[in-house]
Amino acid sequence: MLGIVIDDSRAMRKILRGLLADLDYEVLEAGNGREALNVLESTGRVPDLALVDWNMPEMTGLEFVIEVRKISEMRQMTLMMVTTESEHGQIVRALAAGAHEYVIKPFTRDGIIDKLALLGLVPAGVS
Amino acid sequence: MTNDVTTTVEVDLDMIAEQVWSAFLNGGEEETIFAAPDTGAPVDLAASVAMVGAYEGHLVVSCSHKASRDVASVLFAMEPDEVTTDDVGDALGELANVLGGNVKSVLPSPSQLSLPRVSATGHERWPGTVEVCRTVVRWRDEPYVVTLLSGGPSNNAQGV
Repeated sequence: MLGIVIDDSRAMRKILRGLLADLDYEVLEAGNGREALNVLESTGRVPDLALVDWNMPEMTGLEFVIEVRKISEMRQMTLMMVTTESEHGQIVRALAAGAHEYVIKPFTRDGIIDKLALLGLVPAGVS
Repeated sequence: MTNDVTTTVEVDLDMIAEQVWSAFLNGGEEETIFAAPDTGAPVDLAASVAMVGAYEGHLVVSCSHKASRDVASVLFAMEPDEVTTDDVGDALGELANVLGGNVKSVLPSPSQLSLPRVSATGHERWPGTVEVCRTVVRWRDEPYVVTLLSGGPSNNAQGV
């Protein structure tokens, strides 16, 4: 499976990359939404999963969700917001824009894996 | 607009700090003292995020250079003497971001959170603000002071 971690914090990207790698994902990284769109375009690949921070420079996570949902080839990609943004109205906005799931920082490893399992995104035999 | 939320936030700041340390910094596995006494120990660095909107203020995390390297070493899974200045800024900024986001969730909404700023404490000022509450986390025998400030330029304009 292929995942992309989109977060402006290198530390957070490293944590999430490690989590996905433990689930046998191949992992791409980007530091903001614009960079993520560029990575997706340059690789020509469609990730199974994107973990998306909200508050990032240049292009926010919400703006990324809105933009990537306009690309028909990317519609099969599952979008999971992983963010400190926890206001109810903002969560509703992200889900309405096309995010499938929402995780609030600080998260636990098991919390994310449980949500991925519910979405069918944990490969069989891996935990 | 006033930010009269002192009592509510003071309780939550202790709890939020405990949640963040426990989830991100192995707080449950190492000796960590939450709501520790504030000894006024000197601090070298401050990471902050601003809140703008229904609540105007800042969330600030202050600590020593050693403490900041400890945070970076855990988040980057490296030895403390291996982390770079950029690693420290990134890690401390993310700590402030996560703390600030969770504090914002119990404050009047809607508000927006800024990107984090990290600087030497002697160079950072938050003019026009007042301290709402603070908590001290002692982790790996180093104090981390988490402070919620109220006010700022937009509130000053309203005489707060």
